[in-house]
Amino acid sequence: MDKSLRVWVESEAGRCVYCGFCEPVCPTLYPGGHRGYGPRGRVNIALNLVEGGKPTEEVLKSIYSCLLCGACNLVCPAKIDIVSVIRVFRALMWRTKTY
Amino acid sequence: MARRVSEDLIRLLSRDKVIDDPDIVRLYAREPSGISSEALAVVFPENVRDVSKIASYAYKNNVPVYPQGSTTDLVGGAVPEPSGIIVSFERMNKIVNVNILDSTVDVEVGVRLGDLNVELAKHGYMFPIDPASVNIATVGGAINSGAGGLRGAKYGTMRDWVLRLTIVLPDETGTIMNVGCRTTKCRQGYDLVRLIVGSEGTLALVAEATLKIAPLPETMATALAFFPTLENLFEAYREIKSSGVQPLIMEFMDHETAKLAGEASKSPINVEGHMLLVSVDCNFEAVERIESWLRGVMEKNGAVKVYTSKTIEGAEPLFTIRRSLFPAQVAIASELYPGRKKIVFMDDIAVPPSKILEAVKVIKSVSEEKGLKVSIGGHIGDGNLHPSVAFPLDDDTIKKKVLEWEFEISKIAVELGGTVSAEHGIGLRKKEFLRMEMEKLGSVKALEIMKGVKKIFDPKGILNPGKVV
Amino acid sequence: MLDPLQIVRVVEENMKAHGLPFPAPREALYSWAKPLKMPDRGSPMLYTGGLYQITPYIMSVVDSLSKFEDLKLISVALKASRLLSTLGLSGLVVRPRADTVSYVENILRSIVELLRKAGVNVAYGYEDDLYSGVLLYDLGLDELFKEHAVKVYKALKSREAKTIITVDPHTTHIMRSVYPKYVEGYDLEVKSYLEVLAEAGLKTEQQNGGDVVIHDPCLYARFEGVIGQPRFLLQKSGFKVLEPRRSGRMTYCCGGPIEGLAPKMAKTIAKTRLSELSEKHGVIVTLCPICYANLKSVSDDKVKVEDIALLLGGREL
Ligand SMILES: Cc1cc2nc3c(=O)[nH]c(=O)nc-3n(C[C@H](O)[C@H](O)[C@H](O)COP(=O)(O)OP(=O)(O)OC[C@H]3O[C@@H](n4cnc5c(N)ncnc54)[C@H](O)[C@@H]3O)c2cc1C
Ligand code: SF4
Ligand code: SF4
Repeated sequence: MDKSLRVWVESEAGRCVYCGFCEPVCPTLYPGGHRGYGPRGRVNIALNLVEGGKPTEEVLKSIYSCLLCGACNLVCPAKIDIVSVIRVFRALMWRTKTY
Repeated sequence: MARRVSEDLIRLLSRDKVIDDPDIVRLYAREPSGISSEALAVVFPENVRDVSKIASYAYKNNVPVYPQGSTTDLVGGAVPEPSGIIVSFERMNKIVNVNILDSTVDVEVGVRLGDLNVELAKHGYMFPIDPASVNIATVGGAINSGAGGLRGAKYGTMRDWVLRLTIVLPDETGTIMNVGCRTTKCRQGYDLVRLIVGSEGTLALVAEATLKIAPLPETMATALAFFPTLENLFEAYREIKSSGVQPLIMEFMDHETAKLAGEASKSPINVEGHMLLVSVDCNFEAVERIESWLRGVMEKNGAVKVYTSKTIEGAEPLFTIRRSLFPAQVAIASELYPGRKKIVFMDDIAVPPSKILEAVKVIKSVSEEKGLKVSIGGHIGDGNLHPSVAFPLDDDTIKKKVLEWEFEISKIAVELGGTVSAEHGIGLRKKEFLRMEMEKLGSVKALEIMKGVKKIFDPKGILNPGKVV
Repeated sequence: MLDPLQIVRVVEENMKAHGLPFPAPREALYSWAKPLKMPDRGSPMLYTGGLYQITPYIMSVVDSLSKFEDLKLISVALKASRLLSTLGLSGLVVRPRADTVSYVENILRSIVELLRKAGVNVAYGYEDDLYSGVLLYDLGLDELFKEHAVKVYKALKSREAKTIITVDPHTTHIMRSVYPKYVEGYDLEVKSYLEVLAEAGLKTEQQNGGDVVIHDPCLYARFEGVIGQPRFLLQKSGFKVLEPRRSGRMTYCCGGPIEGLAPKMAKTIAKTRLSELSEKHGVIVTLCPICYANLKSVSDDKVKVEDIALLLGGREL
């Protein structure tokens, strides 16, 4: 189960071309204060950490401050299901208690 | 090293203006160009004094600094290589003053072009430079990459719209300097503003800008047409360009790319050939006449299908396909290399409009020879083409082929009297190309002059090193 | 921002202890329904999932949490004393404001009456109107969510529900689009009351309701396709619906979903949205208790935030 979720996150997030089109629609980006609080950041944090590794405090804040509002999903040219990547990544982190 | 630098920066600015968490810093060390690297820390200046402190610190400690907007650069212009401090301007995002009488706006450089336009629209104005990345690109990034966009056919690029800059130099004191005038006419000795525009963060840190603004058009006539052959399309293009009318927008997409873009955007419009999209801004009284003229030209030159609109809102559905150029290119890449990490390589050449047809044809044949699937779109009103190919990261053979292809395309552009970069810049990726262009022009000396200029602005070579020249 | 893992743990502990993500008495979920005398089994069944009812409790929890956030001590305090869960489990302190409790209860009553007027007589599960588990799902507590979802499904089936009518976007989404992936054999038909009313063609006496600006909740607009119905219903009830700059699928979140984790950020987002909405008009209509609570908490006397059910039910502006 975990393995298939990991593989899914990797392939979904792995399609990110880093264009940043998702950032201007994200409500948490500006109040957050850095790129980790936007969808491009979250997707790539998930991608970079999905294989494990202890998430830092900033990583946790980034992943848990997402509203799951779906604004980013609508504008992503690679059609990544960003909301699900973030939610599933939360589930994986919690389950494996890597923190 | 990273530790010491970030501690210093925290002392210099404050804790919340510095990020040294490696997982977050990493997010700033990558670009859509596919190039990534590593950095020591990211700092977030909140005003020009912060910028000055950072510049002076970097100078005194010999640490490279890398200015960044949204890092949507396509040529490696914002990548921290070798490692250093990233200066992200994202928190300097205030629109300071809109002055309608002067037709100017004062901004901090972290403002996104899209947000700027939302504000200007309240006054009936716009900032006319609209790269496809308009909603994300920052003013600072657009200035430094010399960005252009859809409206380039009429409004040119950033170099035509920047009046004045507040810049910071990487020297002992982090000198703050104001260059340029608030007036359109300005003979302030050598034109340093124009020198900074398009300098890709290699000459100075740009903190604030005064930009020209333009009134929103009253309305516009738009025609979207599909042609069976490139020749037909080019004839229509030639006729419009030679008619004494100055189109606002003139966009091209080849048949297959348009088709995929149509699918990607779920547009109800059936793509029936190579696509030409033309908008002419005008007043209400003229719109009907111009619309039917556009339709006539398209039909006379063999368009199989023409869609038109007489309003700005009404044109929106006609733009959907064009706006999906990038998603289409991503879709093509996904189809070619399913399930693999890949880079979409969007090239950016310009040729004189009279050479557009030739350029498109040669690009197609070169790509075919190399066995690469190319998609071509572009702002053809000003001769700017964005041929794109993709390669999977795990395949060095294809990657090599793509790099050769890009060089070839650039050579063709220069041979046709054009240039290797129209609006994306030189960055890391196109330095060789620039040299080739200058060699062909018999002007290698120009590169020496550029290096000399760089040395005057940045004596230690710490500002976005390794880019452009 | 608070320590996210501590908050997740608090939610987990509360859920395990008494089936709600934050401390609130169980009766709070169904006591509002008693005077309406709905049959206690059958279909269609009104299923609230408890979100409206626990909103006042969430508001007080968030209120006290924000104080900790200001002190920047929350993580330390939580780690040291497990403050929140202790408070929660012993049922202390979290006392909601009476006016918000009665506000949300009026909304629920209004919904039942609107449905009745449209000829839809709903059953109601009372003690079996359990919390839907939305927050467990959102926070990635997948095992616990699955376990809970099965329980909710069984409870609804035991009350003979075939179609359930939901009252908020989060519950609609989770019951319609998420439960089927987690609960084997799931066969409930799920409709939001706004969809039901729009289909039934709302009957109304009201003629001139005035202007309102609509705030689309993300889940209705982007995930469940509920966009036209509220507009249709408001117009039918005599209101003129104004659209903010970002509306429909392109709506802008109220910030509410992170109010428990990052209260300050949630407020900042709510302020941004509130000013965008009130630029159009001073009366804002919400379709979700989270949106209501979050926008309301940053509004002043110049703007009014009202739930759609109350407006449709005839409340004067
Ligand atoms: C999908 C896609 C489509 C695009 N379409 C277009 C297009 O149509 N037209 C076009 O012109 N470009 C286009 N681009 C390229 C890019 O978006 C633009 O060049 C944009 O203007 C860059 O803005 P940015 O804020 O992302 O800048 P960045 O990428 O962050 O920076 C760009 C360059 O400017 C420098 N820089 C940034 N801020 C400062 C500053 N304050 N001081 C000094 N130097 C600074 C950086 O070092 C870098 O060299 C596109 C990119 C993508 C991904
Ligand atoms: S879903 Fe999360 S990442 Fe996407 S726009 Fe909303 S808050 Fe931002
Ligand atoms: S829009 Fe999609 S592809 Fe672009 S940066 Fe965001 S997640 Fe990546």
